[in-house]
Amino acid sequence: MEHEREIMDVAIEAGHILLENGAEIFRVEETVYRISRHYGIDSGSIFTLSNGLFVTADSVGAEPFAKVIHVPVGSAHLDRVAAVNQLSREIEEGKYTVGQARAELERIRHMPGKSYRTQVIGAALGSAGFAYIYGGSPIDSLAAFIAGALLYVYILFVSRPHLSKMVGSITGGAVATVASMILYGLGLGEHLNYIVIGAVVSLIPGVAFTNAIRDITDENYLAGVVRMLDALLVFFCIAMGVGLVYAVVQRMMGGAVL
Amino acid sequence: MNLPAQIFAAVLGTVGFSIMFSVPREYYPLCGFVGGAGWFLYCLVLPYAAPPEATLAAAVLVVLLSRLCAIWRRCPVTIFLIPGIIPLVPGGDIYWMAYYIVMNQVDLAAEKGFEAVKIAVAIVLGIVFVFQVPQRAFGAVVRLFRKR
Repeated sequence: MEHEREIMDVAIEAGHILLENGAEIFRVEETVYRISRHYGIDSGSIFTLSNGLFVTADSVGAEPFAKVIHVPVGSAHLDRVAAVNQLSREIEEGKYTVGQARAELERIRHMPGKSYRTQVIGAALGSAGFAYIYGGSPIDSLAAFIAGALLYVYILFVSRPHLSKMVGSITGGAVATVASMILYGLGLGEHLNYIVIGAVVSLIPGVAFTNAIRDITDENYLAGVVRMLDALLVFFCIAMGVGLVYAVVQRMMGGAVL
Repeated sequence: MNLPAQIFAAVLGTVGFSIMFSVPREYYPLCGFVGGAGWFLYCLVLPYAAPPEATLAAAVLVVLLSRLCAIWRRCPVTIFLIPGIIPLVPGGDIYWMAYYIVMNQVDLAAEKGFEAVKIAVAIVLGIVFVFQVPQRAFGAVVRLFRKR
């Protein structure tokens, strides 16, 4: 039964897109089960890690099916998660044949992301907002806006394409701190601390942290612990990047600038 | 504390994060609302409680609202939860910890680090408990609103 393979491939592709773009493990597994069951395969079984899918199916009268997929963790695209969620609901309502579902998944996989400019503005808004709520003044917020935008340009063009996560987070923290210090030195902003806190905010691993908690709650301990480790490591690296710059500056000029 | 400005900044920041996480555009206002509401509650509770306690209250509200929005708009709860929870993440405390370590003020660094852990645990508790509430309860609330 060639059909079985086709159905499982569609189900797995849905799970793959979900896992890659920041969905929790429960949603990934639930979606794969729902799709395969809707198209008549009850023997499907899935095991999910934070970076891999293991799927088997063994229906009567068909070749046993097994597949392992490695899913490197990318940056979150919650619009794709929402789109696959919608698709899986509509599949269950019977609106899609297997072929149509496959085409729709293909479209979702290639959904255009937000433009670089939009993302930089998003990061800058995040920095400005958080500089203020963490205790800064409106002027600090403005400085964080600029420093946050600079950091995100660095993330988009240097750290994400070329650097590992750890090095990217450490250097990212350093870049944001240097940018904030320069702005502060030029007279923009009143409290260096709050500018830096705002500027580094786009490095915060919010998706990994939140998903880790949810996975552990759902008793998907393995995936949850890996994600939590990921989040803690990134937090630690950001702090390290900021601290390194401070340590160097302090050595060179004494504590006065801080 | 200037409450309206605080809330405005929290909404702005949350929407900024929604953009970074590629949330579909039509959900920006709801994401901002969830994040702003959480921070509003945090600011209200803070004068009467320690930061971890205020964070717990705010986290509970954020998860409740996220689940309601998810059912109302029929989309994954993740979309509202992740940007909405970010204002509560103890980024400031982690910063101060790193700062005091560099300044060789180990006592203050440990204090801030411990505070960050307590706040993180508060967020965890909020998420863990509110996700135990059965989906049907939220469905009922949403239907109640739809009828009006």
